[in-house]
Amino acid sequence: MKEKILRRSDIGRLIDSVGTKGGAFVAPALVARQVVFKAIKSADEVSFDYILARNSYKEFVFPQTEVVADFTFTGNKVDLRGREVEARDTVVFGARPCEATSLSALRAVFTWDFVDEFYTKREDTLVVMTVGCTKADEACFCTTVELSPESKSGSDIYLRETETGDYTVEALTDRGKAFVELHAGCFEEGDAKLKPLVRPEVIKGIDLGKIQSRLAQRENYADPVWGELTRKCIGCGACTYVCPTCHCFDITDEGTAFEAERRKNWDSCQYESFTLHASGHNPRDFQFKRWRNRFMCKFTYYPNKFSSKGCVGCGRCVRVCPVRLDITEAMEELSK
Amino acid sequence: MSGHEEQSGTTGGYEPKIMAFVCNWCTYAGADLAGTSRMEYRPNVRIIKLPCTGRIDPLFIIKAFENGADGVLVSGCHPGDCHYTTGNYHARRRWIGFKHLMEFTGIDMRRLHFSWVSASEAIKWVDLINNVTDEIKKLGPFMEYRGLKDAPPQAAE
Amino acid sequence: MTDKDMEKTLREKARELLTSGEVKVVIGWGWNRARTKTTPIFITNPDETDRLIFNPLCVNNLSVYLTRKFKDIQALGRPAIVAKGCDIKNIVVLITEAQVKRQDVFIIGMVCEGMVYRQELWKGELTPEIMPTKCHNCDVRNPHVADFVIGGRSAFTPPEAPVGMVFEKIKALDGQAPSERWNFWINEFSRCIKCYACRQVCSLCFCERCITEKNMPQWIETSAHQRGNLSWNLTRAMHLVGRCTFCGECERACPVNIPLNLLNQKMIGVVKDAFDFRSGYDEKTHPPMIVFSPDDKENFIK
Repeated sequence: MKEKILRRSDIGRLIDSVGTKGGAFVAPALVARQVVFKAIKSADEVSFDYILARNSYKEFVFPQTEVVADFTFTGNKVDLRGREVEARDTVVFGARPCEATSLSALRAVFTWDFVDEFYTKREDTLVVMTVGCTKADEACFCTTVELSPESKSGSDIYLRETETGDYTVEALTDRGKAFVELHAGCFEEGDAKLKPLVRPEVIKGIDLGKIQSRLAQRENYADPVWGELTRKCIGCGACTYVCPTCHCFDITDEGTAFEAERRKNWDSCQYESFTLHASGHNPRDFQFKRWRNRFMCKFTYYPNKFSSKGCVGCGRCVRVCPVRLDITEAMEELSK
Repeated sequence: MSGHEEQSGTTGGYEPKIMAFVCNWCTYAGADLAGTSRMEYRPNVRIIKLPCTGRIDPLFIIKAFENGADGVLVSGCHPGDCHYTTGNYHARRRWIGFKHLMEFTGIDMRRLHFSWVSASEAIKWVDLINNVTDEIKKLGPFMEYRGLKDAPPQAAE
Repeated sequence: MTDKDMEKTLREKARELLTSGEVKVVIGWGWNRARTKTTPIFITNPDETDRLIFNPLCVNNLSVYLTRKFKDIQALGRPAIVAKGCDIKNIVVLITEAQVKRQDVFIIGMVCEGMVYRQELWKGELTPEIMPTKCHNCDVRNPHVADFVIGGRSAFTPPEAPVGMVFEKIKALDGQAPSERWNFWINEFSRCIKCYACRQVCSLCFCERCITEKNMPQWIETSAHQRGNLSWNLTRAMHLVGRCTFCGECERACPVNIPLNLLNQKMIGVVKDAFDFRSGYDEKTHPPMIVFSPDDKENFIK
């Protein structure tokens, strides 16, 4: 059977094709000595040799900072103007199966009791082209959270690398099929020998069911194990900012006494001020409580409330952590 | 922007906005003397009076640039004359650090001036303002800084 | 002494300290599960001291755990801290700034022949290419303030004129026009994601309420646009003038690789030239920004 193929040499044409139709092409690119997702203009910028981009591509559906409204004061009057989001067609090339899964988690929270158009409009025009992993490192643990390099949830188009460095193309969703059709000139039919996928080993001793049931028991909330596991956490928000499922934001007004912008900025549950009350009381007064919150968010709140995965096992938080606090070590401990 | 119109002179040319952070006891009194002596100087300077130069946090200067200042002037009592004995000595140390930091970051040092003006130096104050204004007028508006906020983040370029 | 011998002595000393009750917790480095990366560990049980390790991967500056941000660690009792010379410099600054009393901490000084810049670079051997600039110019390979020193004396003498990428880059930047420097820094800072890892990992950023958290008014814009990023990075650098010891933790922790070492080292040079002061060497000298001299020299205040 002939398969649909995307030649590596045709990626430049695909970028141009997306560009001429007014879309943005996001791909892993080398910036400051590391591979990150970036909106690119030419195929020369694309990095093909990477395990995972340092950041997740969530910033293209949920920007780190954006204006949601602006206002002016004139005399006693306030003139408030809401902003409409104008989502540009965006294609993300080179996402990994783990992070593709995260979109359903983000969607769940942004459409839960209020539909946040700043997110949904962008996600509605997003095409995710996932590439199955042919490499992994010690921080990868997708298989431990019941995903794998073959997981297709969240992807619109699933690509597999071939031995010649090209990709086989499998359009999964309507959006993915429409994309392949729209840019049909960039794809061709042919035979391909696939490169084998690399599956990270399942970490022994981790049992998601056990973690859930343990977290569900109220008395374990005060378990001293939290303090011991996370004593070294310094409370930077790096893990939450690179995490594909973390989604917390803050609303802040920026401007002068005459006019200002209302901005939606990323925030992190790892900050002391995240839960600080106006009274001065802080329910999460120690760092371990903040870390516990992130862990519970991933392993009970999400699965229970949205039946979606809170943690996709991409391992970004492990790689980026300045004190190498490994979430899988906590998972192992809490599986006991 | 109500209350914040670009000020233009009678010729309609560009007039820079200059922020001056001055101490209450020397430079402000010096500027006051210039006023009561009916000396004329360029109207481009907006003065903020603080108790002492020691109170001037470097962040004030950053904030002034953020809010559209084309130049910043910091001034206080001469060394040894501080109303609080040592405030300006501390300030001087801080400025030595801050000036080099701003220079290293690439801020044009013709936009950031430091001076000592005593209560009796009305003439020095007038000359200072005139010189600083003329210098910044030649440089034009500080567009590099003003443009920062609306520049797109790198990833989305 | 090899790393293995040093580890052995370290474990024995830690056991002795914990058993005698002289300290309640030993702050040191240990392995992660895969034994590929080091991570800070806190030993309170004398039987667990074998988890302590020492090798060129022990990059973390553990002195951050002595600050008041870590109340749960302080609650454990008197700490012993395993520290390289460069980490000890930060402890010295903490002492001069009255954050720690010298007698309240037991310093186990480790003689060090260099660390890797980032743990990911480690291929089993310490070569000059993977060492950070600070190690090439290190004059505290033999710990200068310690209660107990482990390791044979290092014979290393730092070069007279500092060498390394950081110094070369500073020189190159100094030679450029202001607009070129501006473009360089704006480009570097534009990647900032305002995660504040640089602040959190720094043992000298010990304020319980950072200026970024002062929001009435919001002094530093929390948005990660270029203006907010610039004011944050300038303020962070300014608050470390005369204090930073060039331990390099901020740059190591930065998830987007902003070259913070350049800013910090530049300011260290300024302080050295202007006030003849190097921070982190003497716990009895006041930091330059809290004192003054009537004879301070400058040439820009008119």
